[in-house]
Amino acid sequence: MENTSPSPTRQNSFSDFFKGNRGILITILLLGLLPFILALFDGQPISSLLANDPGKSKFYQGLAIEIFILAIYALSYDLLLGITGLLSFGHAMFFGVGAYLTGIMLKSFGWSLLPILGLVAVAGVVMALIFSIVLPRVKGITFALVTLGIAQVFYIVIQSRELVNYAGAEIGLQGVTPPEFLNPISHRLRFYYIGLVAVFVVYFILKRFVDSPTGHVCVAIRENEDRATMLGYNTFYFKLAALMLSGIVAALAGAMHGLFSPIIRPGIASSHYTIAVLLMILMGGIGTLDGALIGAATFRLLSFWLEKWFGGASQVIIGLVYILLVLFLPYGIVGTWKLRGYKVKQGWVDLIERFTGKKQET
Amino acid sequence: MNTLISSFRRNRTFWITLLVLIIIFALGVRGLVDQEAEGGERYKNVVITILRGLSTGSIIFLVASGFSIIFGLMSVLNMAHGAIFMVGAYVGWTVAVRPDTVVDATTPIALLISGFLLVPVWDQIIKKIKISPALSRLWPWLGLILTLLVLGFLLPKYPITSWDVGSYEISPVNFAFAASQGQVNVPEPEQFQGISPLIGLGGILLGSILAGITVTGFVASRRPTTAGRAPQPGALRKSLINFIIVALLGLLLYIFNTPISNFLYTLDSTWLFIVAILVAVATGAGLGILIESTLIRPIYESHMYVLMLTLGVNAIIIEVVRSIWGAPEFTMHRPSVFAGTGEGCPAESFGDLLQYKCSTIRILGGRVRTYNEIFITILGIVVLIAVWLLLQRTRLGMIVRAGVQDSEMVKALGINVQRIFTIVFSLGVGLAAMGGVIGAPSTGLTTTLGDSLLINMLVALAIGGLTSYPGAAAGALIVGLLQQFIIKYGQIGINIPFVEEAFKPSPPLVPAMTVLLMVVILLVLPQGLFGRKE
Repeated sequence: MENTSPSPTRQNSFSDFFKGNRGILITILLLGLLPFILALFDGQPISSLLANDPGKSKFYQGLAIEIFILAIYALSYDLLLGITGLLSFGHAMFFGVGAYLTGIMLKSFGWSLLPILGLVAVAGVVMALIFSIVLPRVKGITFALVTLGIAQVFYIVIQSRELVNYAGAEIGLQGVTPPEFLNPISHRLRFYYIGLVAVFVVYFILKRFVDSPTGHVCVAIRENEDRATMLGYNTFYFKLAALMLSGIVAALAGAMHGLFSPIIRPGIASSHYTIAVLLMILMGGIGTLDGALIGAATFRLLSFWLEKWFGGASQVIIGLVYILLVLFLPYGIVGTWKLRGYKVKQGWVDLIERFTGKKQET
Repeated sequence: MNTLISSFRRNRTFWITLLVLIIIFALGVRGLVDQEAEGGERYKNVVITILRGLSTGSIIFLVASGFSIIFGLMSVLNMAHGAIFMVGAYVGWTVAVRPDTVVDATTPIALLISGFLLVPVWDQIIKKIKISPALSRLWPWLGLILTLLVLGFLLPKYPITSWDVGSYEISPVNFAFAASQGQVNVPEPEQFQGISPLIGLGGILLGSILAGITVTGFVASRRPTTAGRAPQPGALRKSLINFIIVALLGLLLYIFNTPISNFLYTLDSTWLFIVAILVAVATGAGLGILIESTLIRPIYESHMYVLMLTLGVNAIIIEVVRSIWGAPEFTMHRPSVFAGTGEGCPAESFGDLLQYKCSTIRILGGRVRTYNEIFITILGIVVLIAVWLLLQRTRLGMIVRAGVQDSEMVKALGINVQRIFTIVFSLGVGLAAMGGVIGAPSTGLTTTLGDSLLINMLVALAIGGLTSYPGAAAGALIVGLLQQFIIKYGQIGINIPFVEEAFKPSPPLVPAMTVLLMVVILLVLPQGLFGRKE
């Protein structure tokens, strides 16, 4: 796993960073300007936007914050499934733990935000350790089943009568008042920028992790675990590291959800929420961190528009999209893009070829 | 003796685990013995709890056995299994409560199937016609559009006498309530509105034939060479005869619609229940064939994608069921053999039971429900033996067992694995649907039925061993018994030494305990109790 290329100097690596991440940096810039652009189109004055007055821009800021939260959550799952190759069906538990801990600590115990975030991160590690009890023993499908079972227990416990004062049973946790400087209603624009920063900080941390020697071993485990073991790596520790990092990130995403959404529903801890994140990274492309971002955005926007247009039937359509993706586009948006190096023109030529059966000249 | 000792030595962990489980079971039984009662009545709670455990285990087993055989043979984790269990329950309810709807719906379904039976004929005809490759790629798309237009116009117009989820008077909830009270009010059958029946039926038949041609066109345009497979002698005539039979069946059902549904309404609910089981199994198996041949077959080599695909199918089936039958929960009445409450009930002996058709029977002073506890258990055992005989004594079972051991070798021996896969998949899924109907009178019908069962089933299979048939039975038994014992202890409480109050495990602890047991067993025996060592 040694890096054979000559190590670049500091200056070079800095400019390389800008060159290599040009797309991402432009996206950050555009997203940073997005509230202002939307306000401009809506004819809302800047002062009103900064005062968080209701309007189209504020509504779409809310949607974007949801996308940011989902993107962090999808990034954490991509690290687990796409990079390390661990199929876990209990990932929603991490998200749920983060959200519920934040809500309960704010509402019932009155903690301030920073200790809560620390607690949430610790909770993510603890949950990862619970998963890791079975990690060295079971592999593949059985690991998926065990994690599904553990997460299902959490889902059931969170809805139980005994915890009704804290977690609110089936209805969900209501009446959480986030700290004033982060209130999603009166300070939404601030929340938006914090969310934006959080997504890309997490993105660059995870990218750094994947490029590190530890990350390389994780990829090796995904490709062939026996071989990684034979090379002398104790794969358990690497899988545990990925699981912990993923757990912390997912729990923090959950904490953001707990701060942002007015009701924390138990549904976010159910297996459906794991399947939703699976769909997100499948849409974007498994194993590509960019894919998790794009997949989360596509998923949320798609379900938003579909619900607007079709109402109750939207779930069926999302299911159909899911099946069609698995059948015809298994590498997702980013994966297909990277795999074939599609140029737009080439895509048209292929499309015409597919219909006519004739080889076109490029 | 020597073999016993050596087998003990080889599988030390297994035997110790089994011993521990038996000790836990014995302790659980001992705690339920009522020390204050007299004679046989002491064991009242024990018997009831064990019977309930057996019946819960039977339902889990009906679903788990199919799942484990499918997984063993094809390495397909069919996450839609729970959803098909649910479909079985809902279809069974419809047959038992609203047979006229089923009769109505059978005609268009039969007509739609009939068109696809002609695919071999079209295949031969298309091969004879020489057209340019460009056109041969284009026309199936035109066919698809035409098919969608015809069917999309006609199918919504087809009159199916059914219910309306929106209004309570004619909602499934109300029909279920009326049926449980023993009332039968036959609704007016609906007729074709706006178009003549001849155009409607003929149009659907035409649409299904068009669909068959379209599918053939797509398959043919994807085939690398024009050669294809040579038809077997008589195959064409056979498919033509099949087409005529199925289409005629559909038309006859349309003509004799009212007499048939009136006859079904006059049937005793026991006979109707048997019909319901048959229809549900047929629906499940049909869905199985559809899912296997269109969705799983193209990608079944990549297991993770199949897993995700079946998850998607699961979500779609649940949503479709919710849109047809509505989200509110309702019940299914028990067949009349198990519903008697009048004179002579609860029965004192099995002779009385058969004579008065009681809904409950008194065993050792406790009342046991005949349907929930006894019938389901007996049926579970019957299916256990039947599937075991199928696996051990038939050619199909032999191939399946060989395929579980080494599917590459079976392929190499020249067996048509694809057909075996389809058969096994539809059989396994059909068993799940059967479990759905049989479980429905005791569990009620909700759209979350499948999910909760899927979890239980996966836990049972992980305990027993994923690909092993005895493992599925053992796991289902363990999960069922454990659940019912915990529920019972939740009612009477556990006396823990040195603690004043009795500890009462609350209902959420039931699934939690089974999962805990699964995790412990997987830690000791990663391949499950009866699984093969990798």
